[in-house]
Amino acid sequence: MAIQTIYTLSQDDPEARNWLGFFQRRGYSRLTSVRMERVVWLEGSFNIERLLPLLVNPLYQVAAEKPQLDPKQGPIVEIAYRPAVTDPETPSILAGAHALGESGLQFARLSRRYQFCGLDNAAAKSLAARFLYNKVVERIREPNEIVTTLQPSGAPDPVGSISLRGLSDDQLAALSRQRSWYAPLSQMKVIQSHEPERGRPYTDAEMEILVQSWSDHCYHTTWKSLGLLKKLMAATRQINHPLVVSAFTDNAGGMEFADGWVVTIKGETHNFPSSIAPFGGIATKHGGVIRDTLGFGKGAYPIGGTTVMGTMDPRLPDDQVPAGALHPGLIVSESIRATAYYTNPMGIPMMHPVYRCHPGYAKCFALGHSLGLIPKKYALKESPQPGDVAVLFGGATGRDGIHGATASSAAMTGDTLEKESAAVQIGHPITERRFTTAIPILRDRDCIHSITDLGAGGISCAAGEMGAGTGVAIDLDTVPLKDRSLTAWEILLSESQERMLMAVPAEKLDEALAILDRFEVASCILGHFTKTRRLEATWRNQKVVDLEMSFLWNACPIDSTPTARPVRVEVRPQLSEVSGRDEWGKAVSNVLSHYHCCDQSPAGSRFDSTVQGRTALGPYGTSGRMPTGIYVSAPLRGRAEGIITTLAFNPFYGELDPAGMARLMMIEAITKAVAAGANYREMVLCDNFYTPRVRPETAFDLVEMVDAIATLSVELGTPFISGKDSSSGTFEAAGKRIDVPPTLAVAAMGRVHDVNAIVTKEFKRAGNRLVLLGLTDPDSLGGTVYADTRSHRVGRLFKPADAQSVKAQWDYILNLHARRACVSASAIAEGGLLLRLFEAALGSGLGAEVNFESFPRGRRDGHLFGEFIGACLLEAAPGFEIPEKVPHFFVGSVTAEPNLKLREGNAVIWQESIANLTETWSRTFREVVK
Amino acid sequence: MIQATTAILYAPGTNCHEETAAAIELAGGRSDLVLLKDLMDGAAKLDDYQAAIVPGGFSYGDHLGAGRIFGTMLVARLRDQLTHFLEAKKPLLGICNGYQVLTEAGILPGRTPGQRGMALIENQSARFEDRKIRLIVSAQKCVWTEGLDGQILRMPTAHGEGRPLLCAAAAHAETRAVFYYGDDQGRPTMDYPANPNGSPGAVAGICDETGLVLGLMPHPERASLPAHYSQDGLRIFQNLVKWLRQ
Repeated sequence: MAIQTIYTLSQDDPEARNWLGFFQRRGYSRLTSVRMERVVWLEGSFNIERLLPLLVNPLYQVAAEKPQLDPKQGPIVEIAYRPAVTDPETPSILAGAHALGESGLQFARLSRRYQFCGLDNAAAKSLAARFLYNKVVERIREPNEIVTTLQPSGAPDPVGSISLRGLSDDQLAALSRQRSWYAPLSQMKVIQSHEPERGRPYTDAEMEILVQSWSDHCYHTTWKSLGLLKKLMAATRQINHPLVVSAFTDNAGGMEFADGWVVTIKGETHNFPSSIAPFGGIATKHGGVIRDTLGFGKGAYPIGGTTVMGTMDPRLPDDQVPAGALHPGLIVSESIRATAYYTNPMGIPMMHPVYRCHPGYAKCFALGHSLGLIPKKYALKESPQPGDVAVLFGGATGRDGIHGATASSAAMTGDTLEKESAAVQIGHPITERRFTTAIPILRDRDCIHSITDLGAGGISCAAGEMGAGTGVAIDLDTVPLKDRSLTAWEILLSESQERMLMAVPAEKLDEALAILDRFEVASCILGHFTKTRRLEATWRNQKVVDLEMSFLWNACPIDSTPTARPVRVEVRPQLSEVSGRDEWGKAVSNVLSHYHCCDQSPAGSRFDSTVQGRTALGPYGTSGRMPTGIYVSAPLRGRAEGIITTLAFNPFYGELDPAGMARLMMIEAITKAVAAGANYREMVLCDNFYTPRVRPETAFDLVEMVDAIATLSVELGTPFISGKDSSSGTFEAAGKRIDVPPTLAVAAMGRVHDVNAIVTKEFKRAGNRLVLLGLTDPDSLGGTVYADTRSHRVGRLFKPADAQSVKAQWDYILNLHARRACVSASAIAEGGLLLRLFEAALGSGLGAEVNFESFPRGRRDGHLFGEFIGACLLEAAPGFEIPEKVPHFFVGSVTAEPNLKLREGNAVIWQESIANLTETWSRTFREVVK
Repeated sequence: MIQATTAILYAPGTNCHEETAAAIELAGGRSDLVLLKDLMDGAAKLDDYQAAIVPGGFSYGDHLGAGRIFGTMLVARLRDQLTHFLEAKKPLLGICNGYQVLTEAGILPGRTPGQRGMALIENQSARFEDRKIRLIVSAQKCVWTEGLDGQILRMPTAHGEGRPLLCAAAAHAETRAVFYYGDDQGRPTMDYPANPNGSPGAVAGICDETGLVLGLMPHPERASLPAHYSQDGLRIFQNLVKWLRQ
């Protein structure tokens, strides 16, 4: 079949310009220019002239049948998908061509040619391999390659057979290693001892399914052995909150909202893939957590998302990056590009873009949340019935992500980057967008008994879990493949993205398939649910899997996890109190420009925050860049009821006192919402843990953290309804181990009765009085940004008031808001009171004057920079008073002049314009992503 | 009398159709979500509608170019219906990706389906830009902005390809600018990010010679409901409803 090519150049190519800057900043100083040429490959019989309007816009693109880049100008690298893999754009091109009447076009592919002027050939290729393509699915196309067909080709391996009989412990361990199973010996022995009663060896597919399903990533063996999820679930049961609809049992948690609707929340981490291939890892982090929403109940609709990144300092000099780890600056900038690439086309508003750093995040923390909306009557799944049809829909199945679950569960080492990059998936938002539109329609037509997404473990996990109570028989020959060379176990385990599985009542099958077809969602009848209580799969007339569900789901041995209290010596920081104009100026600058406090809008402004028309208050103020710290959605268009979300994540606290950090994260998340006027009694929480690989000391910390939040949630009456844990936060290279700090991110989600009544952060009126309400302790500066700017992260973590007092303070604030006594409010977190004053001034165009005379005794810098979690900055009319019994002090007042001023009585200690401070605050992140 | 209905056209990847319908409803109008595939299959007809909107999103993943495939489909499969719709003097609005679709189809600026006169190319920053901007309404006669000349409308923008590029033959279309990006003094601006994409002349939206077809990058539907930070966008939909009632 004839193959033709079209080469296009853009006259004005900001993307190529951007890459040039990107590479130059990463040390390619000899690079003088980057040019990009896009190539379309077409196979079939067609009239090329008639296809041109689809392929080229001559207003800004120049097309030719031959390459236009001149090889004399510099080396050219052409990147294309591997021959066995289908391009994501292929269906779009074919659909467009067929619309133009060119149905003789049989296949199409794209490739990209980059020219790197100033580099030699080898340098160009190595640069491309580092930054521009994913070896699992893409490759460099050599210039003289002869192409006979574009259509995917390749042959699969035959089904293998694996017998564990007679293998010694050492041999079992070696086999597990050699196959990249990462299965502990105890699991290998259980599988071995089960073999005789089966009467035949395992197929490779069966072995792969077992080790995958029992991996820590899928089975949460660490958490199970420590009984942690049980503790959180017990606390939530004990609270018995009337608004909780679904907690911990589904793909997300659900809270009753209004008018027969439920809102859902889920947080998911994707730490391992994001550490080795940030673009793919982060894109699929979003894709995956969004599918958790789509797979809640009988299908919820995603209405909001977050991206939360913990990395090493992105400004780290190259020589301080651990060998085998990617540079954190690259992880951050690639993560931003990936979040924009995925969430914008999905049409999901960004609620909280958050970036933090800590030297322990050699294996990064990559968290994303998804919020969903679903009618209450569809919020609970049904069990699939025997006879229900298993329909697989969405993207085709490829080689991407194989062994993702087992690799995620292992520690990351210096050579992981090379070895396991196959574990990283590729994300295509357009595919997910198609079924995001279709799922609510399928749901509302009662086509769905049960629905779940395909994540870790792929088809085997989704079908195995959904059919656990009945049995399921699947036919792998029906699965649409994007890679022809996949064998049975690879089809079963592939973690190709954008796929969902649903159980459809047989009488609804035709209707369901018609709906999927109307929205151009590819689907197949994967199989059906049975009464056998077995997981069965056939492929090319062979039975490749026949496992008892009881063995698959109940036989996994849980190794006991010993715990031991780690030794932590509290080191008292030797922080002298600042004094004098210069020292104050420096202290303020250092805090405002700290990575955790600075302007992160260079990242946040790349994510759509208003799509769906539900956003009442986004991540930034209504004018400019003031971070709001809260997100408010009005999910039911035209109605005033809202959902508020907040987030607390602080890696500095965790290393000092894991349990103390865990409590502070809960209080911080709730207080941020209470300050805005949301009632903590109508709030639920989502937890995401990230802890080092299990050792007795890290297990001890984990237990302490979970105990702390379970207890506090009962005391506060605020339940956790969803969460996720990852206990693989350890990086090992060259005999050096780097553990992540004990990490817990808490998201709060609450109901508000009128989104227009939300009290926002920015100042409202000059002359108003400012008060700090809540417990303070100027000497507890451990873990604060302020201490970090003075190279001290040691010291005592701030201890909040007891639960009863915290609730009394929240009630006091809510009471003020009910009387409309405060016109602006914000909760204290990183950067302390100082950061809140600056942001509130920035968002309003006003200023603030701080008068130390009205402060309580104790160091001034401690009061201004201390991170008194649970306390709030409030703005009220000049005569505003607060009863003595409520802990508080008066800070000063709002000024018309846009300055920040520190006074002691009549003496001005320091002052600076908000404009100058804004410049300081803006610089840090701009440098990271520029 | 049957109330006039606006067709909101959507395709795979469109993601702003529901909020656009909500804005029309609040403005007192009626709309149907019309799937492009249904139009192409004959299950729906553009003739049944008195106005049409192509909303925002990433139609067909913006593969090959923003709005390219949707635009190509309109021209290749619906040219007759489209021509009939335009000849019947019915209002047509393209918002963000919808604006890109209308330019790819050649409907803007010249009402010449299949013949492109302008393109919306990658932002000068080479990045997606999510911003809250000020939009200055020009004196250009346009049914969608009647009575708004000289006003400043506050609404969000969110796009990666919004910089207009006009071919020489269509350059005069720039004079039909309906919206400009404005600074805080209410003047057209080239300053980033008040002008988020580097649009020459600060042009944010243009109409055709009849004033019936409008395309703009910012999102009026996201500044329409009481819950939004601004309801300035609602006035564009109110103008549509008023025009349809006349």
